[in-house]
Amino acid sequence: MSIFDPILTQWGRLTGGAREFSVTVPVMDGPLKPNDALEAAHRIASMPGSANLAARGNDLIFSRGRVLCTLAADGTVREEESFEAEITALAATPSGDLAVGLAGAGVELRDRDARRRIGKAGARKLHCVTALAFTPKGLAITNGSDGVAPADWVHDLMNHGESGFVALQRAAGDARVLAEGLRWPAGICATGADTLAVTEAWGHRILSVSTEGAGVTGILLDHLPGYPARIVPRDGVGYLLANISIRSQLIEFVLRERRFLRRMRAEVAPEHWIAPALSSGHSFKEPLQSGGVIRLGIHKPWAPTRSYGLIVALSEDFRPIWSAHSRADGKRHGVTSVAETRAGIAALAQGNGDLVLLTFDGGPAKEVTMT
Amino acid sequence: MEQLERLYYRWFPEKLLGEVLTKRWSDNATPLFAAVLVIGFFLIRDPGFFSLGSVIETSRQLSEFAIIVVAIGIVLLAGGLDLSIGSVFALANITALLCMNLGGWPVWAACLATLGVGVICGAVNGFLIGYLRIRAFLTTLVTLIIIRSIVDIILLKYAVPISSAFPDSELWYFIGEGLVFGVPFSFLVALIVIAAWHVTLTRLKFGWHISAVGGARRSAYNAGLNVRRTVFLTYVCSSVMTAIAGFFFAARLGSAGSDTGVGLEIAALTAAVLGGNSLGGGRGSVAKSVFGALVVLILTDSLVRIGVSGGISSTILGLMLLAVVAIDVKWLKNRHKILNKVYVSPTYFELPAMPETDEGTDSPYALNDRLRAVTLIGKGEIEGPEDVIFDRHDNLYCPNRHGDIVRFKAPDHTEQEVFAHIGGHPLGMAFDSEERLNVCVGGMGLYRIDPDGQVEKLTDETNRSFLSIIDDSRLKLADDLDIAPDGRIFFSEATIRYDMQDWPQDALESRGNGRLICYDPRNGTTKTILRNLQFPNGICMAGDGESFFFAETWGCRINRYYFDGPKAGRVEVVIPDLPGYPDNINRASDGTFWLALVGMRSPAMDLALSMPGMRKRMAKRVARDEWLFPNINTGCVVRFSADGKVLETLWDLGGENHPMVTSMREHKGYLYLGGLYNDRIGRLKLDGMDDGWTSQDAYWGSK
Repeated sequence: MSIFDPILTQWGRLTGGAREFSVTVPVMDGPLKPNDALEAAHRIASMPGSANLAARGNDLIFSRGRVLCTLAADGTVREEESFEAEITALAATPSGDLAVGLAGAGVELRDRDARRRIGKAGARKLHCVTALAFTPKGLAITNGSDGVAPADWVHDLMNHGESGFVALQRAAGDARVLAEGLRWPAGICATGADTLAVTEAWGHRILSVSTEGAGVTGILLDHLPGYPARIVPRDGVGYLLANISIRSQLIEFVLRERRFLRRMRAEVAPEHWIAPALSSGHSFKEPLQSGGVIRLGIHKPWAPTRSYGLIVALSEDFRPIWSAHSRADGKRHGVTSVAETRAGIAALAQGNGDLVLLTFDGGPAKEVTMT
Repeated sequence: MEQLERLYYRWFPEKLLGEVLTKRWSDNATPLFAAVLVIGFFLIRDPGFFSLGSVIETSRQLSEFAIIVVAIGIVLLAGGLDLSIGSVFALANITALLCMNLGGWPVWAACLATLGVGVICGAVNGFLIGYLRIRAFLTTLVTLIIIRSIVDIILLKYAVPISSAFPDSELWYFIGEGLVFGVPFSFLVALIVIAAWHVTLTRLKFGWHISAVGGARRSAYNAGLNVRRTVFLTYVCSSVMTAIAGFFFAARLGSAGSDTGVGLEIAALTAAVLGGNSLGGGRGSVAKSVFGALVVLILTDSLVRIGVSGGISSTILGLMLLAVVAIDVKWLKNRHKILNKVYVSPTYFELPAMPETDEGTDSPYALNDRLRAVTLIGKGEIEGPEDVIFDRHDNLYCPNRHGDIVRFKAPDHTEQEVFAHIGGHPLGMAFDSEERLNVCVGGMGLYRIDPDGQVEKLTDETNRSFLSIIDDSRLKLADDLDIAPDGRIFFSEATIRYDMQDWPQDALESRGNGRLICYDPRNGTTKTILRNLQFPNGICMAGDGESFFFAETWGCRINRYYFDGPKAGRVEVVIPDLPGYPDNINRASDGTFWLALVGMRSPAMDLALSMPGMRKRMAKRVARDEWLFPNINTGCVVRFSADGKVLETLWDLGGENHPMVTSMREHKGYLYLGGLYNDRIGRLKLDGMDDGWTSQDAYWGSK
């Protein structure tokens, strides 16, 4: 930071997009090279309207609106319990502990000896819980934004929201805020005894947050090509990262066009915004981009798109090592949650409701053992 | 703020910037500017510089120098380099003096001998570089040294005799010092040489070959040009012209100094590159060379006049060469980038509110599934059938993107054959009263095909508008036509700023870039009748003999133009607020009209239309494939009455078969659908329409 920064910023603005006015998006290459793995993966179940996939022992749990459901290892779906509000996040331990994020109503925590409702972290209300994780120090919670409901995440993005925070509920006492001023934290997991990894969706990065009150201690991975969502540890070797969608030049551009953005938010229905989405192509009123024009009956897989399916596997030191994609011509978009099972990686595409199982086949040899 | 923006985009001719940059003459802007600057500076410093005597003397020097710069410009244009011209100049000078002063030859013989020396020098260079393909830089550097040594040897022996003898020839002195109508003789010759080369380079085959070889040697070779001979000839031409200059120099000064022509190659090279000739070859002109010569000559002369020493003046020249070469490289590299950034020039446009299209509403545009029942013709076998039409024997004709007109044979339309090949991308079609098929061809113009498949060009140009920078006389994107009862063909040109493959970009501008044109076969004239239309399209005779409907695609409206009758020349808006982008219009059997919507409006795009600044920045900063576009992935068919009432809409919900509809044609109770980016033709049974109706009968009567 120097005194020249504002000048350089304005210069970048005038000369057509340098510094923070640059609309360039990281290229997906190397381990992120597009493939068809997600689109070709084996479908276990089709369950439109479902979200928040998480592992509980050998079972998978997920939500369908207000209802918590279980998918047993034999493939049967069972409705377990209905809550008073939309479920926004789930976490469970093999021993049976369960945490349920509820829209506008905080977190329902159930462990061996009690059921508790956590409504606040410090002085701040937990009404937009986006992710939960059981860690050695307690239950880690991310709250996406102050003014927006979890389902309205796109409003927060288009409003340049930065009011998200991370909280920790220890075994005893009240929940405490660990870090705030975050741009839609959407995933959390433990990385060590007293550190957490937090995905910052609108910041396209993964932050390291201390559980001991030191706040954000570093950036684990930066310049992601997508909007990262849930992150889960993989059986001792690295992590799996789900993504809401991928970034695009046009959206980055629109985010920097203040007047257009203001008018679009005021005059256009949110599902027709130039904004990322969990699924797209439902109406001709959605914006179309040049490369997305269908020619001779073919929708190009590389076409610019608002929705996309992307899972990234990260190494222990947060380097991408493998990825699975559902591209513009696919349907398994909006994979916001993943879970690891003994059979492979389970991923839930909110775009079309497919729950798929895929195996890790791109990484180094030691990674393949999990199947 | 928005008011200001609107005024700015209405009145400020921003699009001209991009158009100027597309012109090759825009390269001349820099040298012209430099010339004006240099002349202006010395005019102020030293008014005596422009006295009559001084101007005549300067013009003599200039004529010699300009010839040399044009010569080196030709070599540069072919992608070569000639450093030996300084030595050739000296050798020509000494040859002329030897012939005149010592040999006592007649002037014509001396002249021929001098030119002969030039031919030999050039042939050596040309042979080594053109045929043996040795590097031009090294070769001409070596010939520079060798020829200079020859000159020095001659000088050693004959310098004294030459300077003590005086030739006895009036003509010789006239060439050196004579005036014709107050203009130096050498200046006249220079003008002729320059004019001849200008014509050669811009109009003659040889000149085009030179540009082609310099621009892309391999392509020129592949195109069948004799690259080696062309390169050889450029060196010969260059040396001969240098010899002409040397001859004039000899006649003017008669001196056999050892420093004649020393450093001339650097001065000439500086002038050529400063003028805008590219060192890389392929870009250059005579005018550029002359400009460069003018600037460099005035600069060097003036530096001498204001007392700058020779060394410093050479240094200045050298630095200038370095600078212009750097600019040349950068300019060539970045010109197309600048052009890409500034050519798209959006303007302010506010569409009327979009009508309701939701399913279940009572809007005439409400979504439905009526196109689901189409059967397909030629699926996967036809690419880009923009329009479909039938002849009197029920054969189906459609264009494709390879430039053919394909015929599907009646009655089942399964067997196809190429009826005619035109080229370009054929678009709208119409049969005339004599069963000839008239076709608008994107990229080419208006064509006509006889029933036996003979192709004939009707027109490919119209009158050029007076103040247009881009050449708008050529038809870039003729897209639809219809024929009046008297045989006049009315057709539309969608845009004059974009080619066939870039047509959707015109939507980003949403300016009236298109026009309506009338071709009259009775006298073969083509005339523009309406300008500044937003992608005009879908011409269709109203049936009253005096008007036709046409669509303005980006304007989302249908207009009616009267070409005859009491309202002649007037345009009326028939439907002002379509929910999508209209394309072709054709007649229906019950006196109403079918209209294809090629794509649908999207709210975000509509909003962007009213914010030209946003679109302009988008075109600059966002990659082309990522640009926001009109949604041409969903289309539909609309039927409307002559008074502008929308009667029904046919949708393909989900866009499985016909994501895009650009045209439809009713024929014997069926509706046939075409689409520019589709690989199929759709056929739909119509309920309650006349089973015997054909548009041929409706237009020209039954036969």
